[in-house]
Amino acid sequence: MHKTSTIAYIILIALTITSALLSKLGTPYVALLILLLAVFKFIAIAFQFMELKKANPFWKVMVVGFVLLFTVIVWAIK
Amino acid sequence: METQEINYKNIFYPPGGILIWIIIFLELFTFGAALVAMVYYGKQAVEIFHASRLQLNATFGMVNTLFLLTSGYFMAISVEALKLKNTDKFKKLLLVTMFFGLCFLGLKSFEYATKLHEGFAIGYNTFFTFYWMLTLFHVIHVLVGLVILTSVYFGISKKNSTTTLEDVEASAAFWHMCDLIWILLFPIIYLLF
Repeated sequence: MHKTSTIAYIILIALTITSALLSKLGTPYVALLILLLAVFKFIAIAFQFMELKKANPFWKVMVVGFVLLFTVIVWAIK
Repeated sequence: METQEINYKNIFYPPGGILIWIIIFLELFTFGAALVAMVYYGKQAVEIFHASRLQLNATFGMVNTLFLLTSGYFMAISVEALKLKNTDKFKKLLLVTMFFGLCFLGLKSFEYATKLHEGFAIGYNTFFTFYWMLTLFHVIHVLVGLVILTSVYFGISKKNSTTTLEDVEASAAFWHMCDLIWILLFPIIYLLF
């Protein structure tokens, strides 16, 4: 458990630095990539740090559904 | 401290309790709606939002993300320690959690002072109105989280503590909620426009 949290933490740090570096690139799909990295980080925190992986599927679907819906709306407007 | 086995697979008992998860979803929908509104207004004034975004220090935003993630990590492993009935380790890790929360607030305060000094106050333009409202609202959550964690720290330190594992898990869930909100705020405010 402790080891899994540490691995999740290292991945989260790496993804945060990657997002910041990506933002300096001017390529067209960089915004989508940054959003997708945020989705991944969001799910990692909820499932690993908040222990949602142990919860009833209802709560997992709610969290993943929220962040996906949010990303789709933001991307559709952007 | 009271510890008891909780069946998390029961829909009414998510980790931390159902009440904190209702609060978490209310907060997520509130911040989510505000961010969607920000993106919508950003689409109406692309150049202003881009120029304003460039006035923000993305490195500060990134370092603050690292502070919150580190704090969240220590919160997670402190709860693990408590589940193994290692109260001393839990208390030490909780202090580290709070320390990184304070680091976040320190850097945020410095960033706010810089922005005010440069003249980018809340009414400067639409971008900065959203920037101040969303980040200040988030800062208030971090402050409330720190108060809750302090209360947990002193509560569990008492000789005949009545603090339960579920109380600690609910407090931890609130603290992680601050991470979740920031994970959405950071890319949109600091990187997207």
